Amino acid sequence: MFRFNTPINTKLTMLALAIGASISPAFAEGYGLQNANRDKANTAKWECKRCVVESGFSGNISVRAAYNDADDIHFGNTSGTDKDGLVGSIDANLVNKSDSGYQTTFVADKLGYYTGSARLETGRTGQYKIGLGYRALAHYDTNAALTPYSASGDKLVLPDNWQTGAVTSQMPTLYDDAQQVSLSTQRDRYLIDAVYKGRFYQADINYQHEKRQGKRSFSGNFLTNSAMLAQPIDDSTDEFGAKLYFNGQGWLIGIESSFSQYNNDHSSLIWQNAFTPTFGAAYSGQSSVAPDNKAYRVGANAQLSGNGHQVLMHLGVASFTQDDAFLPATINGPSPALPVTSLDGKVDTTDMRLKYNSRPLRGLNIRASYDYSDRDNKTALNSYPQVVTDSYYAGTATNPEYDRTRQQAKVGAKYRFNRAVYLDAEYQYDHNDYSDLDRDRLRQNGLSAKVNYKISSAWSAWLKAEFSDRTGSAYNPVNTTSSQSNPYLRKSYLADRERDQYQLSVSYTPESAFSASANVRISNDDYDDTLVGLTQVDTQGYDLSASYLLNDDFIINAYLNQDWRDSDQAGSSNFGLSNWYVNTDEKSTLVGAGIDYRNLLDKKLNLGLDYSFSDGQSDTEVTQGIRSPYGDYFAERHNINAFAKYQLDEKMALRLDWIFENYQDSDWLNQGLALDAIPNVLIFGDLSHDYSSHYVGFTFSYEL
Amino acid sequence: MNIELMGFSPKYKQSIAKKLKAIDITRALISVLLMSTLAACSVDDGSPGTPGEPGGPPASEISTLNISVKDVSFDSGVATVNYRVSNETDEPVVGVPSATYLAAQLLPQGFTNAGNASQWQYFTSESCNSSCDGEFVDHKNGQYSYTFSGTFNGMNNIAFMPGATQRIVIKIGGDSLPDGTDLPITNQHYDWQDQGSEPAYTRNLIDMGTCNTCHNDLAFHGSKYNEVETCVTCHNVDKVSNPGNVFAPMVHSKHLTGFPVSLADCQTCHVADETLTENMNWARVPTMEACGSCHTNIDFPSGQGHPAQVDNSNCVACHNPDWTMSAHSQADTDAVLGQFNVEVVSAKLNGDTVDFSVRLSNPATNEVYSDSADKLDFIDDLRVYANFGISVDYTTRSAKSIKLQDVEPISGSNSVYHYQIAGLTLSDEPANDKGTLALQGKLCSNDTMLANCADTDVTTTIKSSYQFYSATSITEQGRRVVVTNETCGSCHGDQQLNYHGSRNDLEQQCQLCHNPNMLAEATAANPAASTADYKHLVHTLHAGSRESYPDINYPGNIGNCAQCHTTDDSGVLTAALPLNSAVQPLAFNDNTFTSTTSAICSTCHLSDSAIAHMTQQGGVFKGTEADATAGTESCATCHGQGATADVLKVHPIQ
Repeated sequence: MFRFNTPINTKLTMLALAIGASISPAFAEGYGLQNANRDKANTAKWECKRCVVESGFSGNISVRAAYNDADDIHFGNTSGTDKDGLVGSIDANLVNKSDSGYQTTFVADKLGYYTGSARLETGRTGQYKIGLGYRALAHYDTNAALTPYSASGDKLVLPDNWQTGAVTSQMPTLYDDAQQVSLSTQRDRYLIDAVYKGRFYQADINYQHEKRQGKRSFSGNFLTNSAMLAQPIDDSTDEFGAKLYFNGQGWLIGIESSFSQYNNDHSSLIWQNAFTPTFGAAYSGQSSVAPDNKAYRVGANAQLSGNGHQVLMHLGVASFTQDDAFLPATINGPSPALPVTSLDGKVDTTDMRLKYNSRPLRGLNIRASYDYSDRDNKTALNSYPQVVTDSYYAGTATNPEYDRTRQQAKVGAKYRFNRAVYLDAEYQYDHNDYSDLDRDRLRQNGLSAKVNYKISSAWSAWLKAEFSDRTGSAYNPVNTTSSQSNPYLRKSYLADRERDQYQLSVSYTPESAFSASANVRISNDDYDDTLVGLTQVDTQGYDLSASYLLNDDFIINAYLNQDWRDSDQAGSSNFGLSNWYVNTDEKSTLVGAGIDYRNLLDKKLNLGLDYSFSDGQSDTEVTQGIRSPYGDYFAERHNINAFAKYQLDEKMALRLDWIFENYQDSDWLNQGLALDAIPNVLIFGDLSHDYSSHYVGFTFSYEL
Repeated sequence: MNIELMGFSPKYKQSIAKKLKAIDITRALISVLLMSTLAACSVDDGSPGTPGEPGGPPASEISTLNISVKDVSFDSGVATVNYRVSNETDEPVVGVPSATYLAAQLLPQGFTNAGNASQWQYFTSESCNSSCDGEFVDHKNGQYSYTFSGTFNGMNNIAFMPGATQRIVIKIGGDSLPDGTDLPITNQHYDWQDQGSEPAYTRNLIDMGTCNTCHNDLAFHGSKYNEVETCVTCHNVDKVSNPGNVFAPMVHSKHLTGFPVSLADCQTCHVADETLTENMNWARVPTMEACGSCHTNIDFPSGQGHPAQVDNSNCVACHNPDWTMSAHSQADTDAVLGQFNVEVVSAKLNGDTVDFSVRLSNPATNEVYSDSADKLDFIDDLRVYANFGISVDYTTRSAKSIKLQDVEPISGSNSVYHYQIAGLTLSDEPANDKGTLALQGKLCSNDTMLANCADTDVTTTIKSSYQFYSATSITEQGRRVVVTNETCGSCHGDQQLNYHGSRNDLEQQCQLCHNPNMLAEATAANPAASTADYKHLVHTLHAGSRESYPDINYPGNIGNCAQCHTTDDSGVLTAALPLNSAVQPLAFNDNTFTSTTSAICSTCHLSDSAIAHMTQQGGVFKGTEADATAGTESCATCHGQGATADVLKVHPIQ
């Protein structure tokens, strides 16, 4: 890949990193180069003879001033800030190296924007490192939501002169009192971490504090009446982690532990009833918010290898607790007594992994693994009184446990027939035990096979096919819900399912200027025992990408990706067999092209231009004899991202960035709806987006 | 085949009809031959011919008409319904002279707005007599086709919706075939849709048979329309100008007064029936239209009597099916009663005292209640009544009783306890006679469970029961069974009609007191309406001839004895003559008597000529007891079972 500046590429890489990191953080170490079998390798030859470590202070600093058109704050997701008008930020990349091997770096990116970051790191290469970091993350939803409520601590209050109505159209001051409110979240993350490497061990510690602020949509219900509320978010998470690893010839062993704590500045959400109470004196509602909670985790890893065999072992135990005081069952009138003052909730999890790899024959790799994970809810079961939406007492209910044990076994083999062709096949068995669900047990058998064929030095291809069949114990709808399920309903995550997936990938990477790849995928999920519920999901998709290196300084790249997803659902209006059907067709398109042109004007000017178009839409149609299509549900974006960087002299450079975005989205749920369009729901109004925004930035950078 | 047969004797008509049948077969054969010849010659003329199935010989006797709709063809928006008419033995009925065709469209539940019930939309009603609104074809083999006068789309300002469930109702009968054979009025509906498949949704709530358990042959608009599926095609918001005449509100409000059973039990009419797909709509689709037609004190939009609701979208949020079923059916009552059973397990005479024992058990758990009734905290009331002398329809009108919750048993243990009721009036030969013990009571309950009476004010009335006994033991056989709780229940619900608090065994309990020892007033115009003797009380109540119940509006045909009377062991309706020997003459308060059969018949047939006829045939009106019981009545000679003017034949019994 020759892309320098494609956001997609960066995202994918970030995603891959994130996935890699989240799946097996413990094993990342085990596959490193230092753990490779290098008994027979002559490592002396690896020494970089041309690498000269320059000592001293180096780097660059950039100062940026920009005009940001954020009438609609949604543009901030692209430009990095929701501030409208003139914005400024700083980038830096500074390194100070000493001859003795000490090194200090400072990196800053868009510091000053709501999505900026900075990191200061010092240490001695290969020995220890201490880092301090800051990263801001933001998500901007809308600034067009309209609400008569204003926030005050834990409370959302209506104006003093508010007049309630039985329905929204009978609230006389609604339009006078409605004010715009922004729905967005801003996260500020502070990090401190250190790593120390000994001769046969390594120790890591890290601490992170994250503060989150903003507002999100919340539905405040009183029986059949509801108001959309901008719930304030003010909370923080602290995470502390430590790892200690020892390694030697053919072995690695380590323990790791982490602790996290969540603190919510809000203890509840209280809001006034904008409607005339349906029952009694339901003038205010109170809802719990995410409670303060803690999590502990301890894990151990071991890895043994030798003579072509490798064994990996992992054991982890974690505990999640929360003991926030309960809110009363209702704040309207006397509350029925609660059996305890706090949930004193505790959930323990255990996960274990055994993995074995071996190469018994030349060209043959075999592998087997067993995974076990268990969720054990140790919270006391009590009978809690229920006051439905602060309005009426509706008996008691017992907290369900939702315990789960999952076991997964895999056996696989990879055989290389020759230099060009190999076959990889795997069998998987998945076994799940549940409590408090409609099914106690789910079993899934899966087979997958992949053929890789390196057709020539330039052409390679692979084909993968997967098949899985899921079934389980008898389906007995739970009777803990206040209204029983249709006896024919099969919830999709518990239903019998047959799944086929096929994927074909072809890539062309010659040692020349043009390269391309193509990928086609197709899958079918058949819920073969479902009469009411999700019955079928079909997906198709393809990716095409190509890049062309005209010369050393000029690169063109383009990509096209399309995916379709077609879901069928069967429903019943008479509590019997299906008599209505839903088809949902979803489609996404992503197409883009970019050029990078470097070293123009006597190697002083670099130019880049990327254009991308994305379109996602979902069309739902309900058929009960008569066809009733739902309304619009789509998001469409044109994005241009261009820059020109001019090197003023050896030290100074000027850069111009231009971002243009044309964005439209709509959801029939609120499309074109006024605040009082739904009699029993006080909504935020139409939250569709439709804007064309520019960001123009000038950056002056100085090379130290 | 328009041959006028009027004026000929029935026999001659039959012979003509037979000949016509033969002609018809020949014609059918010829037409088949012709068609096959034509088919052989034709190259490709496109449209297939009219239905040409062999019809068989046409029906000559018709007691029932069956209309089976073959299909509805839909061409450029114009519907043609093809159907066959046959008689009870599936013989084709040819020459039906007139018909009415109704067409309507059904909008699905929730289509007009969230929470709304499915809704019929009337298109048209077209008729064929001497002329036709559309095009009528009698294929002369029992097959008929009718093409509507135009496209449904736009008729009655209703847009035809592709895919929607459509209904066509065919009404025929009420007139006769050209040969004079009468055609019974028959309605037949056919639900279809234009996409060629089965209708995707329906609105099948109630079977007409349910209405007719009480109403017999319910029919409206000059008796033309007699099926609920017919009624709804017109009684909808798009046809009737008065919203009160939309079917559900109309039917609900018509039953608000004089209903013979609790209105709170929706399942009296919305009987559980798995063959009706939307049978549970009464609980699952609450709407202000349906609910408000009984709860008339509520104005939903303005919030009078109920929190304001502008539409039906919210109803089910509170009034979910479980809630509605609990509030508006017998489910809770049945659940409570399922936890208690009381039975007399032994009884015998001891002088003028009846010694008996009672067993209490819980059928839900198959366990017994080991304590006696006076120790069980959930028993609010449990009484036993006793009378004797079944041979004379009881010896007294004052049956003796005890309250088991108040008395300690004489003896007994572990669920079976012994009691006595003393002071019975014995008959002449007690050793060869029998008596009856009747049980009644109330249990304290909370929702679906029995509850301590100290903790609840709610009581559930048990179903009263009875046990016959002789001088020595309990017996299976006892007093004759004339009506049953089941026959009474066809209108009054299963033992849901309670009198004097908690007496609901209409089969045998009432008669312990309401027996011939009750006296009629000597001055009454209709003596039967003045006595509380059971048979006279029940006959006159339902006929609306009792002064104390002036508003009785009997919903069925009063002459249909089988609505209330059951059949005896040999399958004969208990209304048949002669009467059981235990039936006593009607006694007056001036010590005069009317003989048994005359007393019963004159309850309804009380004109002078009817009285004269009965007197001529040996009936005694207000005579001495000796005369009234001398057996001079000869009613059964002509009106007895199997005789020429059998009571069972001359009444419109179904």
